[in-house]
Amino acid sequence: MATAVTRIDKPLTAAIPKKKKKWQSYALLFILPSFLIYTLFVIVPTAGSIYLSFTSWDGISEDVRYIGFANFVEIWQSPRVHNALKNTLVMTVSLVLLENIAAIMLAVLVDKVRWFRNLFRSIFYFPTLLSGIVMGFVWAMILNYNFGVFNQILDAIGLGSWVVDWLGNPKYAMISIILSTVWKGAGYYMIIYLAGLQGIPAELNEAASIDGASGFQQFRHITFPLLAGSMTVCLVLSMISALKIFDQIAVMTDGGPGFETETLTYIIYKVGFGELRQGFGTALAMVLFLIIMLITVIQVKFLRKREVQM
Amino acid sequence: MTLQAKKRWGEIALLAITVLLAIIFFFPIFFNLMSAFKSNAEIMKDAIAFPKGLYLDSFKYLLTETDFPRAIVNSLILTLVSIVAQVLIIPMAGYAIERRDTRWTKMVFLYFLAGMMIPFQAYMIPLFKELRMFGLYGSLAGPILVYVAGAVGFGCLLYTSFVKGIPKEIEEAAEIDGCSRYGIFWKIVFPLLGPVTASMVVLNGLGIWNDFLMPMLVLPSGEPKTMVVEIYRYIGEFSSRWDMIFAGTAMSVVPVLIVFIALQKYFVKGIASGATKG
Repeated sequence: MATAVTRIDKPLTAAIPKKKKKWQSYALLFILPSFLIYTLFVIVPTAGSIYLSFTSWDGISEDVRYIGFANFVEIWQSPRVHNALKNTLVMTVSLVLLENIAAIMLAVLVDKVRWFRNLFRSIFYFPTLLSGIVMGFVWAMILNYNFGVFNQILDAIGLGSWVVDWLGNPKYAMISIILSTVWKGAGYYMIIYLAGLQGIPAELNEAASIDGASGFQQFRHITFPLLAGSMTVCLVLSMISALKIFDQIAVMTDGGPGFETETLTYIIYKVGFGELRQGFGTALAMVLFLIIMLITVIQVKFLRKREVQM
Repeated sequence: MTLQAKKRWGEIALLAITVLLAIIFFFPIFFNLMSAFKSNAEIMKDAIAFPKGLYLDSFKYLLTETDFPRAIVNSLILTLVSIVAQVLIIPMAGYAIERRDTRWTKMVFLYFLAGMMIPFQAYMIPLFKELRMFGLYGSLAGPILVYVAGAVGFGCLLYTSFVKGIPKEIEEAAEIDGCSRYGIFWKIVFPLLGPVTASMVVLNGLGIWNDFLMPMLVLPSGEPKTMVVEIYRYIGEFSSRWDMIFAGTAMSVVPVLIVFIALQKYFVKGIASGATKG
């Protein structure tokens, strides 16, 4: 850290033209470290991926052969990739819907409840702080067929016929991952909705209440429309994080049973590091990148529009 | 009178629903911490039952017979050093971009923001090779640099929007007093950015502590990596020693719990400010 040297006697007029030049070099110096690290460890490897997606590289050998669009043609035709895309779509749509519904519900509850408000907020938020690996393991244990708590509870309350292998049965594996991810994710969006709720003036609801509007009517016609801003943000954030889900799948199902829970992020990893087809893996990664870019660009457009309106 | 009573019952019903949901939300965490103090036989016999005594063997085993202590140290080093490096590098850039508002700083800003769209999967495969080329494979320096690089976009976004709110007059006064830009930033501006820094530190620190895919790929196999990666490995290797894995997950969760309780408001603020800026 530089020391401040006091030089009051310096003539002010001489300092002005110098100042600009000095600023320029400082700005450069201030930005340079970020610029270098970011370029070297994000942009350069991303550019490398674009190049590798046109090759048949296996990840180990020196043999990096250019094969044109062959990887992308394979993506277009491969049933396994189609299945992964379908799983990604199912997972993303269900997560976006369920997480946001749960988050709005939790936010309204925390906002309305009269006692222990902060405690409840913390409890609902805490699961978002866990790693996907830890959380996935705990849920895998809860849902375990033989020793799991969940089946034990079902048995105890007389629903023994519902007992199934939640993660091993192709019918239920996806749902189990989705619901446990809702448990993990909802609290994050709840915080954003809560901030939105607290921005709604209380007079609006009071006035409606005097006019005889029921609680639900107030929610439907006042709260919900005024949450639109928070909702845009939450929808985009939840969509992007749903597209990137990886850890839970790695611990809970490893993409299985069969290929039932293999998503785009998971197939990129499996193909690249498990099957040593890194050229193909990077081509798949480019597809993920394009999807996320598209969502972000749409989001920026939306947010701009909203800003203009306000 | 009846209206009052009705309102009262409504409030109690609301509380009941919230409590029920809170129990559902808290149960898995409670279950994890509780199971860490049960023996394997106890877990298999009755998963819901309370531990009979304070069974500590799984902790003892994990800390003396496995690589877990080294994984804990790795996790701590990675998290702390990456965070310190982020705080030394990123706020300066955000400040310069906001204060020196020219065409080239705007371009750099957009260039940084573009990185927020790039998922880790999009560059992980070449990254692995690049680290090897630079001789960074096998040391913790590799992942640290990757964490700093990955935080530049969001960090600059946060800092530029907060620097905007700091009146320029303070800096101008210091400049007339002969303070260098460097001094102005670290002595005057940076302390005013405390709340943003705190939010960035807790949110990014948490992300690094919990990260799985990057350290798994980038740290050499055959050596202990980070806590989360070791837990994942144990799940595959010691698939029947649940007591041990629960002890491991508990050790990874408890520090998070403590930091969260101590610094709660910064988590909430960080999310809120990140959300409004996208």
